[in-house]
Amino acid sequence: MNASAAALDLADIPERIQSEVQRAIQRSIKGVEYIASSGPALGSTPKDILHVRGTMNLYHYRPIADEIYRVPILIVMATTNRGYILDMVPGQSFIEFLLKRGYDVYMLDWTAPRPEEKSLRMEDYVLDFIPDCVRRVQQDSGETDVTVIGYCFGGVLSLLYGSIFNDGPMKNLICFTTPVDFREMKLFQNFSDRRYFDVDRLVDSVGNVPPEMILSSFDMLRPASRVVGQIQLWENIWNDEFVKSYRMFDRWATDTLPLAGEYFRSITKDLMWDNKLFNGTMSVGGRAADIANIKVPILHAVAEHDHIVPYDAAKHLIQKVGSADKQEVMLKGGHVSLVAGANAIKRLWPKLDSWLCERST
Amino acid sequence: MADKSNDPVAMWQNMIGEMEKGFNSFANKAMESPEFSKVVNQVGGATAGAQKQLGELMEKYLVSMNLPSRAQMVSMAERLQSIEGQLNEIKALLHQVHSNSAAPGGGYPAAPRPPRTRRPPSAGGEQK
Repeated sequence: MNASAAALDLADIPERIQSEVQRAIQRSIKGVEYIASSGPALGSTPKDILHVRGTMNLYHYRPIADEIYRVPILIVMATTNRGYILDMVPGQSFIEFLLKRGYDVYMLDWTAPRPEEKSLRMEDYVLDFIPDCVRRVQQDSGETDVTVIGYCFGGVLSLLYGSIFNDGPMKNLICFTTPVDFREMKLFQNFSDRRYFDVDRLVDSVGNVPPEMILSSFDMLRPASRVVGQIQLWENIWNDEFVKSYRMFDRWATDTLPLAGEYFRSITKDLMWDNKLFNGTMSVGGRAADIANIKVPILHAVAEHDHIVPYDAAKHLIQKVGSADKQEVMLKGGHVSLVAGANAIKRLWPKLDSWLCERST
Repeated sequence: MADKSNDPVAMWQNMIGEMEKGFNSFANKAMESPEFSKVVNQVGGATAGAQKQLGELMEKYLVSMNLPSRAQMVSMAERLQSIEGQLNEIKALLHQVHSNSAAPGGGYPAAPRPPRTRRPPSAGGEQK
């Protein structure tokens, strides 16, 4: 360090102290506000419930544009999490973005399966819930073709659906951070090591797999991050934008859903243990579900720093599908910031729009 | 403003970030071992079994106290959900009837949907 830089630093010290004192005061005031108030309202883009059946919910978002693309979109959410990650707040909502760009958007979202829904199997999701929603989208929109967008495990369900119903009506498929090679989900693999993890005993004793267990397994992937997140929240509690964003993402991340017992058993045995999706040996309800059967245009968006679905687990999707028109895009960000937040607004959303608009007429 | 290398707040934030990365990486390495899986699943299995037994015991206790059990509350919630579901079905049917009749002035459900004629910017010029 040279003398002039040191002098400049010394001159800055009173200003820096003043700023830190102000922040400390703000922290105390805002800290009380934080405890006393609820977070921002999430998922508020106007929508209508088209159909509810147990854990399955089908919404239609009210179009905003004066003129919309012919092909409607059905978003299939991951069964572990709520769909409002794609509809946070105005200006940070993927759904709102799609509506403004002239798409007609439907969402298949999930609520916690009831105790008697513990018997729901993979086939209920792939051969019943998704086709039922696709039919209702067709009926409501008056269109035969439907674009399907699957997020994370919603992507896996969409792949299974697309490989079985490969003669339509799915016109395009977009997957976000979708695993195909489950051997590469190293930590999940270890948590569910067949030598020690007795999935039958678990499912037989608890019915639906509790959300706390799902949340702990996600948290264990980055065990220090929750504590560090809270330290960062305290440091930045004077900053309203930071707090708003923290609350949105924290609420969503902890709002984990239980998983239907039989469905979880199938995920563990067929995907985690036998890696059937990757091996091309997967079947659902006795019907072969080889993703090589998928021939529609497909876009797969993956995140460079995804700690939940590492790239090695996702990279085979594009190689294995049978589509001629297929593309993978790798974008900066993590599993969640790929689809929501400032990164997504700049990177994924415009990319997706430019790919999809050409294929939605 | 002091440069980042001299700023104690930036240094603290940087240290926290590095600690987070280091701890996560260390923990992930430890969790990759088969021993970890064995211990976690033994504990998890025992906890699930104990939870089930405790639940059954509580159920008996609540019955003896003439209080509703969790199962009964869940059953009531299910009935409410079922009623909610049926209301949604009725709402959807009404929506459909409204749309079919296309009655004017009926708010959103009867409002005509925008035409499905939108073209991508490259094919139709500037995007609307």
